[in-house]
Amino acid sequence: MSIKSKIINVGIADIKVGKDTDVLRTTLGSCIGIVLYDPEQKVGAISHIMLAKDPTGKDASKFPHKYGETALPILIEMMKQQGSNIGQYSCRMFGGASMFKGINSQFLQNIGEQNIAIVKKFMEEKKIPVIVEDVAGNEGRTISLYCDDGRVLLKKAGMEKYLYKVR
Amino acid sequence: MLKSKVDEVLQDVNKLPAISSVVSKVLEKLQKPDVNIADLAQEISKDPAITANVIKLSNSAYYRASKPIRTVQEALMTLGIKTVKEIVLLTAAKGILSQDLNSYQLEAAQLWTSSLLVAELSSKIVQHKKLKIDKDLAFTSGLLCSVGKIVLAQFFSPVMMQIKTDLKDNQEPFSVLEKKYFGYTHMEVSENLLKRWNFPQELTDVVANYLTPENSKSNPLLTSVVHIASILIVVSGIGIDIGGESVPISPFALNQTGVTEADIETYFVHIPDLQAGLADLLNV
Repeated sequence: MSIKSKIINVGIADIKVGKDTDVLRTTLGSCIGIVLYDPEQKVGAISHIMLAKDPTGKDASKFPHKYGETALPILIEMMKQQGSNIGQYSCRMFGGASMFKGINSQFLQNIGEQNIAIVKKFMEEKKIPVIVEDVAGNEGRTISLYCDDGRVLLKKAGMEKYLYKVR
Repeated sequence: MLKSKVDEVLQDVNKLPAISSVVSKVLEKLQKPDVNIADLAQEISKDPAITANVIKLSNSAYYRASKPIRTVQEALMTLGIKTVKEIVLLTAAKGILSQDLNSYQLEAAQLWTSSLLVAELSSKIVQHKKLKIDKDLAFTSGLLCSVGKIVLAQFFSPVMMQIKTDLKDNQEPFSVLEKKYFGYTHMEVSENLLKRWNFPQELTDVVANYLTPENSKSNPLLTSVVHIASILIVVSGIGIDIGGESVPISPFALNQTGVTEADIETYFVHIPDLQAGLADLLNV
């Protein structure tokens, strides 16, 4: 990491964009981190969604970044504002953990799965290729996107590795 | 097995996280029914850092004092003894719960944020379900339930490789691996620490059993509340550590508290809002 790089924390239910020496970082449980990266312009973004949809129907207007259905269009828009359009970037996705099988919370069992499904559906509709995914399981994950070359540092369950595939 | 080494540390006061003598004395005084405000104010004022924090936090948006507070005595008069006790504890806890636990893959800021969120959510659950538990007690129990990890974190290095291998196909709660390698779970260590700090028994029972609330002897209801809060915070990814999402919500806890599927959903969705409301405490 160069001295000039700036670490930008992407909180829960948050979206951040960065470029060049910026490093975007987020930690995920059942939530999903959606990473978009444009290798030509060195522009990247991470959206950290909690749920696929707003179960109440009232919260998404106040907190659109929480839910896949409202956050993903904003993510695309934010990339566009940085001068990067669909076709110039691909998608990587991380998170969506859950191992709560056989317990009596339907909700907790399904959060991860539904989060994964909505991202895939959205990317398919928008024709944005999903080139890397590290999802499901029961591990927490911390991901760092280095905007200088698009590599992602993935930390989970005691292991850490760089993922260099960006296109 | 590192048990004998962990034992050594647990017996050596100098190697354990400590809370200041002022905090101990304040907590001791507060356990007596006839506590005197002037006396308490004087005790707190012996520690300048705690005094500064009490005044600063008393004026924060979180505690919403009705008028500006300039002294510890004013804080006690305006916010009440219980709230000032909470602030004193928070300050002490921050000193202990904000360090990097690299082996658990937890950074100081995450550990502190998640401890505060478990505390806050525990207190909210008590209020929301109208449970007959003091909400401040729920807050404190939630705040301290990870404290044992601080002691165990220092023993990871020699067994890190083995733990990583075990983690790959681990289907059990991470505390089972803690027990296997260190001879103690972090819950047992937390219990030990709280006893050493002279915390009341109702609190030590909660931290000792918050991941297995059905084993709680003296306070299954409160233990269940903290259990549910801690699992939801883990699922949200805040402070998620090497153990990942390995502990399911206990049906016993749901039964005890009356927390429903719909409640879980609501609590989960509002975690970011809860975090925003804690901004003042996060930066104690």
